[in-house]
Amino acid sequence: MKDTADATAFDVNDWIRQDQMPHFLCPGCGHGIALRALVWALHEQGIDKDKLAVVSGIGCSGRLSAYIDANTFHTTHGRPLTFATGLKLARPDLTVVVITGDGDCLAIGGNHLIHAARRNLDITCVMLNNEIYGMTGGQVSPTTSGGRYTSTTPMGNSEPTFDACALATAAGAGFVGREVTMQVLALRDLLKQALAHPGFSFVEVLSDCTEIYGRKNDLGASPEMMLAKKSEMRPFAYRNTVDVPFRPNHLRTGVIARNDRPEYGAAYRTMAAGLHGEKGDA
Amino acid sequence: MAHMEIRFSGSGGQGLLLSARILAAALARQGRHVAQSNAYEPVSRGGLSRSDLVISDGEAAFPLARRVDYLLILDAAAATVSTHLLHQGAVVLADAERVPDPPRGDFRTIALPFTETARGLGNPRVTNIVALGALCTLAAPCPAEALLDALLAMTPARFERLNRDAFAAGLAMAVQEPA
Amino acid sequence: MTATLRNLEGNEACALGAIRAGCRFFAGYPITPSSEVAEVMARELPRVGGTFIQMEDEIASMGAVIGASMGGVKAMTATSGPGFSLKQENLGYACGAEIPCVIVNVMRGGPSTGMPTRPAQGDIMQARWGTHGDHAIIVLAPASVAEAYSETIRAVELSETLRVPVVVLLDEVIGHLTETVDLAAVPEAPEVWRSFATGPREGFQPYAVTDDLIPPMPRPGDGYRAHCTGLTHAPGGFPTQVPEVATAAVTRTTDKLVHHRERIESWQVQDAEDSDLLIVAIGISARAARQAVRDLRAEGLKIGLFRPVTLWPFPEEALRETVARSGAKAVLVPEMNQGQLVLEVERVLAGRAPALRLNRIDGQPITPDDIADRAREALK
Repeated sequence: MKDTADATAFDVNDWIRQDQMPHFLCPGCGHGIALRALVWALHEQGIDKDKLAVVSGIGCSGRLSAYIDANTFHTTHGRPLTFATGLKLARPDLTVVVITGDGDCLAIGGNHLIHAARRNLDITCVMLNNEIYGMTGGQVSPTTSGGRYTSTTPMGNSEPTFDACALATAAGAGFVGREVTMQVLALRDLLKQALAHPGFSFVEVLSDCTEIYGRKNDLGASPEMMLAKKSEMRPFAYRNTVDVPFRPNHLRTGVIARNDRPEYGAAYRTMAAGLHGEKGDA
Repeated sequence: MAHMEIRFSGSGGQGLLLSARILAAALARQGRHVAQSNAYEPVSRGGLSRSDLVISDGEAAFPLARRVDYLLILDAAAATVSTHLLHQGAVVLADAERVPDPPRGDFRTIALPFTETARGLGNPRVTNIVALGALCTLAAPCPAEALLDALLAMTPARFERLNRDAFAAGLAMAVQEPA
Repeated sequence: MTATLRNLEGNEACALGAIRAGCRFFAGYPITPSSEVAEVMARELPRVGGTFIQMEDEIASMGAVIGASMGGVKAMTATSGPGFSLKQENLGYACGAEIPCVIVNVMRGGPSTGMPTRPAQGDIMQARWGTHGDHAIIVLAPASVAEAYSETIRAVELSETLRVPVVVLLDEVIGHLTETVDLAAVPEAPEVWRSFATGPREGFQPYAVTDDLIPPMPRPGDGYRAHCTGLTHAPGGFPTQVPEVATAAVTRTTDKLVHHRERIESWQVQDAEDSDLLIVAIGISARAARQAVRDLRAEGLKIGLFRPVTLWPFPEEALRETVARSGAKAVLVPEMNQGQLVLEVERVLAGRAPALRLNRIDGQPITPDDIADRAREALK
């Protein structure tokens, strides 16, 4: 890891494909902030763009890979972790980052998240949670808050919401964290830790969908949504301090879990090293 | 020797596929071409099980059994299922104990004490090897030494003595039968 | 000579063929009757510096294979009908983004779970049309264990050089059949690779239109920093909805196979010089036909066999020529389904000769006698 102080000054434009601007995100969308925090973290970690692969799925989050000046792969809905698994195993020399969304990662791709976390291959998975399927017009997602209106919950959402970090932790992810887009520097630093961790890292970014979700539920403009989101959060570092009754919040932010389980790729290669060159049946 | 078809049949767990594979390996080492196909019910033990060998000088046009020359039956479960494949001149080798009612017809049926012999050797699990020995004597698909080599190469060394004895007993028991 | 003979199972031959062709990544999921391909790969790949992984499902294994190939490593998976269906979406991605990969599909009885241990040839159309949208794909149909080996080698090579997914389509009989093969019969040849991008990074277009219609592939780490997407993309790699650009993008991928048709097509003809009836068959049905032709010729009946080895794109010109040259009055298409290959044969012959059917869907292979009986009846 490079010392931040020694790193060259960060200019977001160095990391963004200028020919792909203007981006397609709606005004007020939190995904742009998350993208900036991600490339900032990549920059500060001293990641070589030529050796960086960004793999994304489908949805608003999926489009972000196209904006990053790296080796970028916009794959199929829910499957970016599977493509990333093959890519990282085939090319351990690459830094592999997955950008996914709440629908992509927890609904259609939920099984892959469980097994990527369990396997603990060195991939950094950034899940942008805006509680909605934005690109398809605002349908309910596994993280849509209770009671909220979406185009497929016209009576309000009656399903419980998914705690993605609890899932990733339970499945054994090497590093798990959560942050809100409003805390850009905290988010950047969390992503830096995730990138530095040798194993599967899962970071949930609480983003906002102002244009569709916000309007449908009368949540105000982006600043109001972000403030509301932030007020719902309780930094993990506070743990059981006395203010719990005053901030009885359901989701924690910061580093939520980490462990030192062996990284899958390295473990496989170590086991295979004993066989390498041994005459096979071929 | 041109074309020969051998079917090993019985119930799952009797080592039929292994005996067929051992013979197939011995034949390939002799420069012959073998096609082996297996059928078994979706249970690991019990249930009808069979393995067919189609032996030819080059790649068989059709690799599956059509007219069986030698039919080995080690269990009553397989007693009748292959009769339609037998032709005049075909030979049925049935286990005397486990196949009380072997098929009879316009072919030769020989009942031999495979299971009893294996038990006498101390392990009924080598019934298939006893049968392989008898088959070798009657069908003579390849020299007995070549088959023994393949047998020893493909089975655990700790069973070498037992397998040698079983194979020898099988070879011997069929000698008195007219070829 | 005899020293190089060995007994191999069809599924095992696919795995060993792939490794010989340089495949170094396999992702799979257990499914009867193809699991032996994965088992052999799990054992052999680490010995040659490759990677095997059993993924959480069929979809994931297809994704991982494409991911490995995007990283510049030759990759393969294996499955059977239900799993093949699950792979179809990602397979479509590989078609659209032109990612080389090989999929072995060992056909079993269907639809649905069907008869998992019994053979069928019900995926002839799924192999061609299973994924969505207009797409190019190659399907090879081995009819022996020796061919399972050599055609899997060819599958890797075609996939690499043409940047297209290639399906190796076996039926359960060939997949589980053990035959004596001579691996040395496949001549030693230099390893075949896709063309990787070289030259200036500035202004690089990952989907540029080249003379051979096959754009060189940028490899991560080589400095091109390209974008790859399943969205319809312009030569620069980024999504487009400009009508003429979208048309050109899809058309190039399908034209590519037409352009290289001679390299792709492969077929075998037996006794077709002078035939009243020509059999068209693949896989184990073609082996039954091979025997039936011998039996019927011995009876004095004029009968021949046309066997597509490359099933898709179908060797249509070759079939039309063979029918014309043999003077066949009809063709007979024995297949273990309710009639799939026959539809393509009818399309290709367009009334030049009637296509007769012989179908079995009972989980049993078509026998030489089945074909001979039907042929005698047809020639009456």
